[in-house]
Amino acid sequence: MEYVAYALVIFVILTGIATALLRDVLAAIIVFAAYSLGMALLYTLLLAPDVGLTEAVIGAGVTTILLLLTIVKTVRPGGERTFERLDPRAALACGALAVVFGLTLPDLPAVGDPNSPILSYDAVTGHYLTQSYAETGVENTVTAVLAAYRGFDTFGEATVVFAAGVAVLVVLRREVFT
Amino acid sequence: MSDTDEDSEIPEESRESETAEAEEETFPAQRRAYTESEVIMSTVRVVTPFVLTFGLYITFHGADSPGGGFQGGALVGVVVLMLAFAFGIDPTRRWLGTKAVTLVASLGLLVFAAIGLGSVVLGGAFLEYTRYPLEDAAKYGIEAVEIGGIALIVAGVIMGLFFLTAAGPGGDVE
Repeated sequence: MEYVAYALVIFVILTGIATALLRDVLAAIIVFAAYSLGMALLYTLLLAPDVGLTEAVIGAGVTTILLLLTIVKTVRPGGERTFERLDPRAALACGALAVVFGLTLPDLPAVGDPNSPILSYDAVTGHYLTQSYAETGVENTVTAVLAAYRGFDTFGEATVVFAAGVAVLVVLRREVFT
Repeated sequence: MSDTDEDSEIPEESRESETAEAEEETFPAQRRAYTESEVIMSTVRVVTPFVLTFGLYITFHGADSPGGGFQGGALVGVVVLMLAFAFGIDPTRRWLGTKAVTLVASLGLLVFAAIGLGSVVLGGAFLEYTRYPLEDAAKYGIEAVEIGGIALIVAGVIMGLFFLTAAGPGGDVE
């Protein structure tokens, strides 16, 4: 299992870099969909199937379709090169950022470590894990947290999704969605 | 099914044509968003029932298994996107009509707000399900919010974003 996860991490990093560097936008979108698929598998492997499902549907599915629709209205850059020319200063900045983030990795708790703060601070996590079924009657703790314990936040998020649709209506100066 | 019938039913004809001309100059190589393909149509015909069933399962079973209104609603919305991809964006747009998508998204938000504010009216906090005089009020309240609220909003907005992106600013519908 571990090796599959490592392989997926390498795959995700490579597709992420390729998305940034590929010159042809169509190729970049296809590679980006592959990146999302890798992330979805990784989330599922890390026992977060709810997030994995979202990444698969939204990241690999809807985003890809919307980006494809967008490039229909643009032109593909010509030329022979497959990859974009690297700007050394931008590459240096990105590399430095990656190194800084990478330096924090050894300090993160291992996946499922019982001593990690999220699991050892029982007042919140423990309450959700042990009491959510008794209090809400739903078996999926994620759903219980989203719709009951953090219901007001979720209402805000749902409103944001709706507002995003309205914002696109306003930007494109249309009155109806279809 | 073919994209020969180009007349879109979107208002603001004048502005549409203006923008279309402007775009013609900037991007001479305009491509069509829809290509009729036997392979895509056959695949979508086979896959659609399964995706729709899976989406509804994820939506309605989200309280007891991974998933929920967001993922399920997105899947159900994607079914319409697949149909549009395979059989033409404009025919699908006409099939949906102008009201359906707006109605679905707005209804979702209204249902969510009504359930949340209902418990306030009954003297509790926002979304305090146990205020409702029902057995297992929390369970059914969560289901109602997931299915009648979040799923509808997400499905509606995803369909809306797709058709809006396809139409573009001021028209030029493929």
